[in-house]
Amino acid sequence: MLKFDFVYLLEQIPKLVPYLDITFLVLILTLFFGTILGFILAAWKLGIRPILSKLAYAFTTAMRCTPSIVLLFLVYYGLPALASIFAFDLNDLSKLFFVVTAFSLSFGNVMSEIIRSSYLAVEKGQYEAAVSVGLTRFDAFRRIILPQAAVVALPNIINSILTLLKEGSLAYTIGLIDVMGKANLLIAMNYEAHALETLLALSFIYWSISIIIEKANELLEQRLSKGRTFVKTV
Amino acid sequence: MQTLDLHFMWEAFFIALSGAPITLLITVVALLISIPVGFFFSLIRLNGTPILDQLCRIYISFVRGTPLIIQIFLIYNVMPILLERFLRSTHSTLSVFDVNPIWYAFVVFSLYTIAILTEVFRSALKTVQKSQLEAAHSVGLSTCAAYRRIIIPQALVTALPNLCNATTNLIKNTSLCYALSLREITLRAKVAANPGYNYIEAYIDIFLVYLLICSLVEYGFKKYEKKLKAYQCLSA
Amino acid sequence: MLEVREIRKAFGNQEVLSGISFSIEKGDVAVILGPSGSGKTTLLRCLEFFEQADSGEVLFDDIDVDLRNVTKEQIKAIRQKTAFVFQNYNLFNNKTALENVLEGLVIGRKIPKKEAEAIAKEALDKVGLSDKYAYYPSQLSGGQQQRVGIARAIALSPEIIFFDEPTSALDPELIGEVLATMKKIAKEGTTMLVVTHEMSFAQDVANKIIFMDGGSIVEEGTPRQIFTEPKEERTRQFLKRMLPEYTYYI
Repeated sequence: MLKFDFVYLLEQIPKLVPYLDITFLVLILTLFFGTILGFILAAWKLGIRPILSKLAYAFTTAMRCTPSIVLLFLVYYGLPALASIFAFDLNDLSKLFFVVTAFSLSFGNVMSEIIRSSYLAVEKGQYEAAVSVGLTRFDAFRRIILPQAAVVALPNIINSILTLLKEGSLAYTIGLIDVMGKANLLIAMNYEAHALETLLALSFIYWSISIIIEKANELLEQRLSKGRTFVKTV
Repeated sequence: MQTLDLHFMWEAFFIALSGAPITLLITVVALLISIPVGFFFSLIRLNGTPILDQLCRIYISFVRGTPLIIQIFLIYNVMPILLERFLRSTHSTLSVFDVNPIWYAFVVFSLYTIAILTEVFRSALKTVQKSQLEAAHSVGLSTCAAYRRIIIPQALVTALPNLCNATTNLIKNTSLCYALSLREITLRAKVAANPGYNYIEAYIDIFLVYLLICSLVEYGFKKYEKKLKAYQCLSA
Repeated sequence: MLEVREIRKAFGNQEVLSGISFSIEKGDVAVILGPSGSGKTTLLRCLEFFEQADSGEVLFDDIDVDLRNVTKEQIKAIRQKTAFVFQNYNLFNNKTALENVLEGLVIGRKIPKKEAEAIAKEALDKVGLSDKYAYYPSQLSGGQQQRVGIARAIALSPEIIFFDEPTSALDPELIGEVLATMKKIAKEGTTMLVVTHEMSFAQDVANKIIFMDGGSIVEEGTPRQIFTEPKEERTRQFLKRMLPEYTYYI
């Protein structure tokens, strides 16, 4: 137990990497559903119906105070029970479903705040100008507001994706076998014998992905900061 | 299963709440350690001190680039080994198994929060213009006095919302202490739910307790921020 | 009182100051004129040690500083004798007007709080802000902020005050109040070294003009000499552009 086996660590990496597909599947599905939810919530918050906006803000407050793991279990236990009231049986559904649902809720909440603040960051005059030249409300949003707001939002979005990637590792707790789940299985199979090596291998995998995402973020920010001045002068 | 067991829920709420002191203890200890260390690290990062800056960067990159749960597992695996060696070398009669897991929690969450706060302080200090330091020098303040009286108070105002975020995140993250078998909010309620399989009720309780604590913390920060922001009350 | 010898300063390959020498006597109000980019501000910042000059010598009363190797004690000693008024005021954002003036007195000069408060209030009264003690910088206009900046400087009763383009960040209608304040303290005998583009101040208040261009001093003299019979062509060109209506000073 005391001896550290570097070769063993290296051997673990190829055993873990194939399970990244599940990790990324969770990530991509969550991004997709979370973004949709984010747009809906942001529209509610910015909209004129007080009930919907109160509801959306209450949701944000609740999510901000909920640990990911608690949310995950609430969904895992709560959703089937809720569905059974309406005579749906969700118990046989894949664990992936619950993981994606739980993380979509929290990611959607984060997205809604990002969308809202970047929308507000774009001057109101931009919308008025767009409408004044005959664009519809939807076109004004799609062609004028969205491109500008995206510039403001992108660094934050990438940051949130990074957080999502890391929080996603908790999916193992309900038994999803992604890269983290596989590492746990490997550790258990060896009766915890080489736990440290396996954990380090696992953290290097996560670390590498994070570094790649962060570098992409830096590049993007450089590109966009040029765009920013461009937007300003126009 | 169709309806919630309200009686259990009522009781389990207080069981969950009884774990709050441990959660808060970890939070406070981690903050007390990471605020000064994080500040020191942020100065290293801002000054670009050779070697130390690189080490800080790697450290921060690792902590921010890997899931906290893995960091917890790592510490849980490494610390006992190191401790055992230390105890053996000092011929102590203590065994590693006597060590309360809360010590591991202190270590993990301090290491984690230091990395977060270093970045918080770094960006906050960057918002205070260099000319404020020059002005302080011009009226005869030493660099140290300038930081203490001019720069830090201003940086604190911009850092506060992030500091609040870091604190609530820290509180939420202590829910991962189940991995250390530490009986805090989550684990207590979960254990209480085991016999009757009342997991939904238990997790609703846990949710409520975190909601309560985090809301209080946020409220406190908002109040403090308002007080600090006095000088910006009528921003030009 | 203050003598500067052969100050040189380069940013990378760009030489900004190429051997500046001049001296200032007690009670002088010296104005440095020159086109932008001529190194005026850099010179002032080197004298307050915000920038490290590459070489040269500063003699201040009995302090003799070789700019090639300056000690912390020397910087401290010179800063004790000088004060600085900034282009962007640089008031401490987290302090009220009164606290801004107090800061240097209490922390910098270690003057007891009570005494310092009397000095600070007197300084603020002098710049006409006796009703603004408790205002934060964000609550003051640019002109008022700069007057607090001047009060902060005079409260320290330094031997010389450096003014770095004190009015260039101000709206035109606020420039007057700051110039009037500067004129008032100049009349009280304060030694001043002023970088400015305000020709009226140079003509009416200064007793010495230093004209800089391209990192060196082109010529220096009394306002009368400089404004009526400048010797150098570059000075003439500059003045012609800056004050067409005063080409012939009477």
